[in-house]
Amino acid sequence: MVAGIILLLVLPLIMGGVVYFLLRWTTVAALLSIATTVLLGLAVTTLPLDRPVRLWGGPPIALGETVTIFGRELVLEEADRMAMAFMFFTAAGIFFLAWRAAPRSPLFPMGLGLLSLFTGALLIRPLIYAALLLEIAAALAVFALQEEGAPPTRGGLRYLTFTTLALPGLLVIHWLLARYALTPDETKWLGAAATLLAFSFALLLGAVPFHTWVTALARDSAPVAGVFVLTVGNAAVWFLLLDFLETAPWLSGHSHFGPLVLSVGLVTVAVGGALASAQRRFGSLLGYATLADNGAALVALGTHTHLGIALIFLLLLVRPFGLGLMAIGLSGLRARSGGGDRFENLRGQGWRSPWSTAALLFGGLSVAGMPVSAGFIGRWALCRSLLPSSPAAALFLLLAGVGVLSSLWRGMAALVARPRSPENRSVVANIPPESHLTAAVIAAAIVAGVVVGLFPQVLAPVTLRMAAGYTFFAP
Amino acid sequence: MPTLADLMARVSFLAAMPAVAGVLITANLLVISRDWRLNIVAFAAQYFFIVLLLTQLIRLEVAAVKGLIGWMICMVFYLTERRAEELSRKERGEEEETPEPAAPSRRWVMSAQASFGLLSGLLLTVAAYTAALRLPLPVVPPNITLACYLLAGLGLLLVGISETPMQVGFGLLSFLSGFDLFYVALEPSLAVAGLLGAVSFLIALAMAYLRAAQAAARRKEGAW
Repeated sequence: MVAGIILLLVLPLIMGGVVYFLLRWTTVAALLSIATTVLLGLAVTTLPLDRPVRLWGGPPIALGETVTIFGRELVLEEADRMAMAFMFFTAAGIFFLAWRAAPRSPLFPMGLGLLSLFTGALLIRPLIYAALLLEIAAALAVFALQEEGAPPTRGGLRYLTFTTLALPGLLVIHWLLARYALTPDETKWLGAAATLLAFSFALLLGAVPFHTWVTALARDSAPVAGVFVLTVGNAAVWFLLLDFLETAPWLSGHSHFGPLVLSVGLVTVAVGGALASAQRRFGSLLGYATLADNGAALVALGTHTHLGIALIFLLLLVRPFGLGLMAIGLSGLRARSGGGDRFENLRGQGWRSPWSTAALLFGGLSVAGMPVSAGFIGRWALCRSLLPSSPAAALFLLLAGVGVLSSLWRGMAALVARPRSPENRSVVANIPPESHLTAAVIAAAIVAGVVVGLFPQVLAPVTLRMAAGYTFFAP
Repeated sequence: MPTLADLMARVSFLAAMPAVAGVLITANLLVISRDWRLNIVAFAAQYFFIVLLLTQLIRLEVAAVKGLIGWMICMVFYLTERRAEELSRKERGEEEETPEPAAPSRRWVMSAQASFGLLSGLLLTVAAYTAALRLPLPVVPPNITLACYLLAGLGLLLVGISETPMQVGFGLLSFLSGFDLFYVALEPSLAVAGLLGAVSFLIALAMAYLRAAQAAARRKEGAW
């Protein structure tokens, strides 16, 4: 009998190795990466946990079987199952975009390796090993974030730095809680654990004032790889946090928990929205828009309700639609402007790269939470849930969206400005048009985003099913 | 032939405060200097002193493995910097072994960056000493507490004031070494020790990769 957990961990690693040697043939590498992640996503959602299943006459696969490696248990629970499915399917979507946006990118093998590490982090008990796997993943991500021929990415450096700074806190928490279990009268251990936990997860989630890695990552790194970290990596951190809160009800039940998380979330939303409105580069805009979205997820957690958890999942589910589109648009525009993404440098580029421009526009609208986009359903649901209890928080969220939108507007105005001189027009003629395949990929991504925005009921049952695994806010 | 235990017994007189002093000097050197050769020597020496301190807390063999990982990291950094220097020399159109022209004799002056590094390093050393007195770490003796604070503090300082991948790498690895010195006393598990070693090595590889990218990008700019 084969333990399904081992397959989830090992298969992406093996395929990552295979894909690395096939990078020269981008289409093959992309298809293999997409097939692997889709297959694993389907397996994790459809295979039963309680009994082994024989697939195509092969050996029986027991998905729910607990595995012990070096004395540490790897357990697949119902909540982790949905989390992993989300990571695999999101990765498949990003690989699909990377097929056209980042040919020969090390994202394909590294992304598969990262998936294996994130999966391990969600499965392994206790948390200290998950923290170590996250740190290894951050170091591995640097290889994917670095663009070929570009100076060293500050985003990768900052991401690795902040993850490293979060590591000690996460490792020591385990020991502090063990001390508290031995001497329950000494609450100082509990206080120290709560402080370290808050600090470490604030670093990992990029909450203000520890947000600089998010913006640096979006500004300086390979866009699609950056989005992989900001969606799949960020989701892994969220799932770990929720898993931890599930096992530590003393923390989520503390009277200061809700107000503290809500305040941090609102500050993050405000900083993200305000600074997004002042940006003059699309990469920076993507970073600050992501920051505002991170803040929105923290606000959802700060509502201290079960609905809030469902909203976190909704925000995580819709985020890849907006960020993915922005990343493919940004990659296309950077490739055609010599690597720059300043508004003034991209003047008139919209006429030369209409599909990349459209991707950037629809992605930006989604990240800003505007109607008829995937991002809208998450923001709108959060605003509606906040309105009765804290209308000011809802207003903050709306204003953050306006901040992102205003910068996007200026960027779009530059992109669609007509070339000023005949010399400029002659440059236009020398640049080959976007390929039909790229156009088809972008069109498919835009349609997917709009469909999700128009029919939110597609995602609602998924988020409710994901939230059902967490009971710490249940009455 | 002397065994590892015999060799360690010979230098055991260094294992307490002298090793902390060694950590203090090497970590401050990393903050002040921008010469990669000096930095790699200082970093290798820092790992030697860390191994000496670790022998107070864990088995000699495990401490030696941690030291070996550290010295392998130094080797990775050395090879990367050497290659980057070769690339930069080729870019300038110089011959492989052409000695650098002798600099005109001048008064020894300290750069503004080094002065800032020295001052901030001294300040952090004082802060680490005060923290070690006021906030002693549980489980570990006072000299280890001081070494932990020094490594973590000066490592963070180095990360904060540096932009180049190698300097950030030295900072991150010093920070992690400081934490590791404390954490081995809390969690003596071999699995954790192995994973922390893997983390350190991967950080070093990532930094070497970024340094190589930096050298390649400079060469490309030069070609244009």
